[in-house]
Amino acid sequence: MEKKSFEQVIEDGVRLLERYIPQTYLYFPLLSSAIVWAIRRRKEWEEKIFAWEVWIEPESVKEKPSGFVVSFFKNHPALSWTFAKELDKNDIASLRDAFRCLYPVVGLEEPFLSALFQAEVKSEDYRKIVRDFEARVRRAKRDMDAVKGHSGLLRDLKVFAEEMVSFGKDYLLEKDVQKAVAEILKKKSDNDRK
Amino acid sequence: MIGNNDLIMRKMSCAVFLLLMNLLFCSCVSHLQEAKLYYTQGQELSRVYSTERAIASYKKSLEEVEIEIARNPSAQAYMIKGMVEVNLKMWQKAEKSFLSAFSLGFPEGQEWAEQVSLFGLASSLEEMGLEESAFKVYSYLVSKSKLKPVTLLAAQRYTDIALRDLPQEGEKERQRSLEKLLKSIEKLSVNDLSCGYYHYLQSQVLSHKAEYGQSFEEAVMAKELGLPTEEIMRDNDLQIVFCFKNLKQNLEGQKWEKFYSMYLDWTQKWMWPDPETPDWKKR
Repeated sequence: MEKKSFEQVIEDGVRLLERYIPQTYLYFPLLSSAIVWAIRRRKEWEEKIFAWEVWIEPESVKEKPSGFVVSFFKNHPALSWTFAKELDKNDIASLRDAFRCLYPVVGLEEPFLSALFQAEVKSEDYRKIVRDFEARVRRAKRDMDAVKGHSGLLRDLKVFAEEMVSFGKDYLLEKDVQKAVAEILKKKSDNDRK
Repeated sequence: MIGNNDLIMRKMSCAVFLLLMNLLFCSCVSHLQEAKLYYTQGQELSRVYSTERAIASYKKSLEEVEIEIARNPSAQAYMIKGMVEVNLKMWQKAEKSFLSAFSLGFPEGQEWAEQVSLFGLASSLEEMGLEESAFKVYSYLVSKSKLKPVTLLAAQRYTDIALRDLPQEGEKERQRSLEKLLKSIEKLSVNDLSCGYYHYLQSQVLSHKAEYGQSFEEAVMAKELGLPTEEIMRDNDLQIVFCFKNLKQNLEGQKWEKFYSMYLDWTQKWMWPDPETPDWKKR
């Protein structure tokens, strides 16, 4: 059987999501997250299934020292420019509020969240991320929770991610894959509008 | 000839019997494997913020393990059941499952049951806003729990609450609280030296104490030993970069040169494109 092209795999991924989820804005976060897990955590996924021990996962430490928060803003050119006023005044309380929303997106580059705020990251509108964070994340959670009764979703996402991984790890730089997924989704949305 | 036929029939019966036994055995194994598979899927779904779907997976895992228990009750199956119930926050049922695991020869079961019960209590207290009481229970679990998932979760919540409630005024008081917190986590680490997560917690606390050299060392140990999630791994990498930047400002002469050379060795090993950019970071 002829091997699918990179674009075909992504298009198939989009088609499979159409079967489960009507909200198209979730496609990009879901497909990019699936790829990132497949690239970075594939081994653990397999080990977990076959291992005797299945441990509950703890979370990261959310409370950071002020120095860490300030350094996060100062060392990112666009963030230091956007939050110049707070940095000049050493307004730690405001910086902490913004940090809570921006660190997972810009710092940790959490695949789902950074894809969810892709437009704002691209246009460097970081204040908009802070403004919209709670509402947009809440909406995404609600819409994901609403996708009930589709037992095949995770299975199909895994198949998609594995097909992507089959192109080879070196080929799959996270940023390139995410860019390709975003472009194909945009092309599709433009075609749908015509 | 009749004898031969009889022999063939016996061999065939034996083969069919073995095949049936094998199928029966496989079906028993598969329910346990299925339970583990759904459990893992539940964890993956939690990561895409699909709480309800995650819960559905845990429930499916519970169904599978209950079938397994009905056919072949074992300490392992009850242990998995208890773990799933912990995830579904069914604390009392988890307690019972661990007790059953204990009665079937899993020696730690009784103790686990008590600890799960306490962790459930602490979580409820925290959800109801009784953070101080919850903190006391987490503190107890951090020092006494022998059930690793409970210890890990309690350690994370204990650390987060302790850091959030650090005294705002009085540096001495603040340092004393941090020292106390650090000692508690160090104890966990001494008892389970290969657990990367405890080194990660130590690194985080040391960073609050502005002890960047030690914080860096603990973060490196955490990275080398492995961390439970991608998010924690990335947070730990950014901690390494943060320590590097601070040490760059604070160290001088030979001390800096020595540290810098060692730092470059590590970052090359991790295949970072440059000293301040982890490999996963978009450029």
